Amino acid sequence: MSTPVLEVKNLRTAFRVEGGQLIAVDDVSFSVMPGQTIGIVGESGCGKSVTSLSIMGLIPNPPGKIIGGEILYKGKNLVNLPAPEMRKIRGNEISMIFQEPMTSLNPVFTIGNQIMETIILHQKLSKADAKLKAIEMLRLVGIPAPERRVDDYPHQLSGGMRQRVMIAMALSCNPSVLIADEPTTALDVTIQAQILELIKGLREKLNMAVVLITHDLGVVAETCNYVVVMYAGKVVEQGTAEDIFFRPSHPYTRGLLNSIPAERADGDERKKGRLETIPGLVPNLLNLPKGCRFMERCKRAQPETCSKAEPALDLVGAGHKAACFFPYKEERTPGATESRAEGAAKNRAEA
Amino acid sequence: MSTISTVAAPVSSAPLGRSLWGDAWVRMKRDKIAMASLGVVIFYFLLAISVKLGLVAHNWGETVGKEYQPPSLENWKLFFGTDIFGRSVVMKTIYGAYISMTVGVVASLIAIPIGVSLGAIAGYFGGWVDDIITWFYTTISNIPGILLLLSMALVLGKGLWSINIALGVTYWIGTCRLIRGEFMKHKERDYVQAARSLGAGHTRRIFIHILPNVFHIIIINFSFLFVAAIKTEVILSYLGLGVQGVPSWGTMIDESKLELARGVWWQLTSASIAMLIVVLALNIVGDALRDCLDPKLK
Amino acid sequence: MLNYILRRILYMVPILFGIALIVFLLFNVVGGDPVLLMVGRHATPEMIQELRHELGLDRALIYQFGDFLKQIATFDYGRSFSTKQDVMQMILRAAPVSFVVAAPGFVITIFLAIGLSLFVAFWRGTWIDKIIVISCVFLISAPSLAYILFGQYFLAYQMGWFPISGFDMSFPAVLSYIGLPMIIWLVLSVGGELRFFRTVMLDEINQDYIRTARSKGLSERVVMFKHVLKNAMIPIITSVVIEIPLLITGSLLIENFFAIPGMGSQLVDAVNTSDLPVIKAQVMVLSMLYMIFNLFTDILYSLVDPRVSLK
Repeated sequence: MSTPVLEVKNLRTAFRVEGGQLIAVDDVSFSVMPGQTIGIVGESGCGKSVTSLSIMGLIPNPPGKIIGGEILYKGKNLVNLPAPEMRKIRGNEISMIFQEPMTSLNPVFTIGNQIMETIILHQKLSKADAKLKAIEMLRLVGIPAPERRVDDYPHQLSGGMRQRVMIAMALSCNPSVLIADEPTTALDVTIQAQILELIKGLREKLNMAVVLITHDLGVVAETCNYVVVMYAGKVVEQGTAEDIFFRPSHPYTRGLLNSIPAERADGDERKKGRLETIPGLVPNLLNLPKGCRFMERCKRAQPETCSKAEPALDLVGAGHKAACFFPYKEERTPGATESRAEGAAKNRAEA
Repeated sequence: MSTISTVAAPVSSAPLGRSLWGDAWVRMKRDKIAMASLGVVIFYFLLAISVKLGLVAHNWGETVGKEYQPPSLENWKLFFGTDIFGRSVVMKTIYGAYISMTVGVVASLIAIPIGVSLGAIAGYFGGWVDDIITWFYTTISNIPGILLLLSMALVLGKGLWSINIALGVTYWIGTCRLIRGEFMKHKERDYVQAARSLGAGHTRRIFIHILPNVFHIIIINFSFLFVAAIKTEVILSYLGLGVQGVPSWGTMIDESKLELARGVWWQLTSASIAMLIVVLALNIVGDALRDCLDPKLK
Repeated sequence: MLNYILRRILYMVPILFGIALIVFLLFNVVGGDPVLLMVGRHATPEMIQELRHELGLDRALIYQFGDFLKQIATFDYGRSFSTKQDVMQMILRAAPVSFVVAAPGFVITIFLAIGLSLFVAFWRGTWIDKIIVISCVFLISAPSLAYILFGQYFLAYQMGWFPISGFDMSFPAVLSYIGLPMIIWLVLSVGGELRFFRTVMLDEINQDYIRTARSKGLSERVVMFKHVLKNAMIPIITSVVIEIPLLITGSLLIENFFAIPGMGSQLVDAVNTSDLPVIKAQVMVLSMLYMIFNLFTDILYSLVDPRVSLK
């Protein structure tokens, strides 16, 4: 067992807002092994993006701040690392790509210029060499005629192409960790598949760890080895993809899986009927209930226990944790998504 | 945009069912400085109304002391001393407030209805109607403002009413542009299409559906227009083209041109401070309104 | 690009026509009879008639308008009613004066405002930011006349650093005459410009691509001076360029106050003496200049922003 390349330990990040202090990330921990893809899943506002920005040290201060925990990259704690040292890591050892390819590239510089910027900064290459490398990166991410496109401006490219450029930029210095924050959410379904394939392929080629942030369980099923499920700033369940899809313990995870409108599979009766939903709304982070944050929406909740204290993240299986007083023990009948997950898991096991 | 609302996304800290205005009011109340400024503006309005009703400063012309008496505390009327005719600077300043507030209101009452109507028609109907109105305001706006104002002042003659009309006729353009843009945006929005599918005609759609949605822009525009009107009146009156026969801050400053050389600073100071306070307050309120009414800036 | 320029110049014609129409209607129709203004009380009907004929004011309005259009096209606006000089000559003499007086203050203000806005953007949210914002609001709220009067009183009269009034175009005397106007211009306009530039900078800083730049490991200095500045320059340049014609329109108050013979002074004098030819000429010439600069700004915009192409 190798050592984790990235370890997040009890991370807490807070923001000062109109009305008080908002703790967006509350005691989140997970480890990432080299070459592994870990998925962080949850609804909007659950804290997954803030987690990734915390790792990169990009939390705007004011109004935000990491108020607790450690982020260990190859053993070095990134929290409170002096800025010049953190800058050497960003874009170089840990890179990030964002959700909105349309607005994440600077419109007044060519894409070549923007890729070269990273290369020149971290690898100190000459402009000419950097340009060659940039062209190589563009080729690597599948942009046709890269020698010509390197002088294009972002507005001349489609959304999918821009996302590829972002990936090229992020990978240009061969980072050990790539953080991908909802990289395909803003793209068409067909492009989504291409981008995910690209990321998977590059991960294998460059032996890079990937932290994939998403709200789409389908994406998780396709690409992730390990999954962290977040809700209202806390981790509610984490485990291997198999654990999550076949043995979800936390009611929230179950609810998420059950609410995927399953595709019609042949002869499977379960596919008909109403869509399942999780009733209720995410709690106001400024006004949290005293007990379990999911209690209001939970089918299994028992007020005497669940409203008194927050459940701790306990083991419910080997390497599988859930934060619930009454976790599910039964296996779950897989739907179509799970079949894909099962297939993907088998592929990964055989690889 | 990586603002905090995207990053942290606290889900609805506003209770359900609060309208844009209700919400804005709550946010505005928290801004103490903005509320204080609003208070100042209201105070000036009350002062102006008092003057109109003859409660105060209607006798600004009476002599209260010798010429150029410096400020003293013996009598509120002498708080800022006297001018060359021995008249109370304080009373003249109060009367000037009346003039300024009046000009602000009247000029806006002329400019805004014209601007909103033409802007709405142009933005909503588009086509040749829009072309004509656009040509019209583009033409006028290509004349540097000060030239237009002075030309109108010349042609309409001197006096308060000329200024009001000149200001109204010059400033409607800014409003018109704004409203036209807004109507063009809103015209295609779903809620308008929905109204249309329910059988709402043009008038209904314009007045009942779109107009309430751009009303906050009109209010913000009004606050800045008010400031522009006050400043312009002062300049015109200073140049002798404004109010005649009654004091305004502009005329007071004009008179103080000669006074300064004799070491008489109080008339200039009084008028300047009075104007600074109300313009500052209006600017603060305008900014606060803009921030509070912007639904994106939570 | 050439196509675009030609089309824009063509479009200027109906606008100019519109302006001419407005000016004509304003002065020749709505305004009082200029002849009466010129001759004074003791004129006999014959004198009035003669003058009217001389000025072409006894013909039908349509012909008068035609005359006016001809004047505009040939840049010959006749003679001033009060000074009797050739109007275009007067304008050509006064325009450089206004420019010389206003330009230095303008340039300094813009550079100062850009620098300060970058500084404020870097320190956004802190007390530095708040102080500067408050100062700006104060500066733009005080009456401009107060700056002028107090400025003259303290700096020229009391301290004797600058001449109290007057003007001399010759070098180096001109330097002492533009000193005080320059300072006053700075104080008058820096508040407004800084407020606007600051908004532009802050908008830029919140953009996604700035977050991307930081995520690449760039230092904050590079982020500000390369990424933020280049994008911010687009709206800044366009708004600054369009203010240049106003330098020639002249700051009325400063010129009037310091007895500087620029366009502003000329205009005020013309208004006070109902000198219509001068006013009409100023309006037409300055409007043309304004339109040309508008076009210039649009072209500049397309050169600076790669997303914009003029069709």
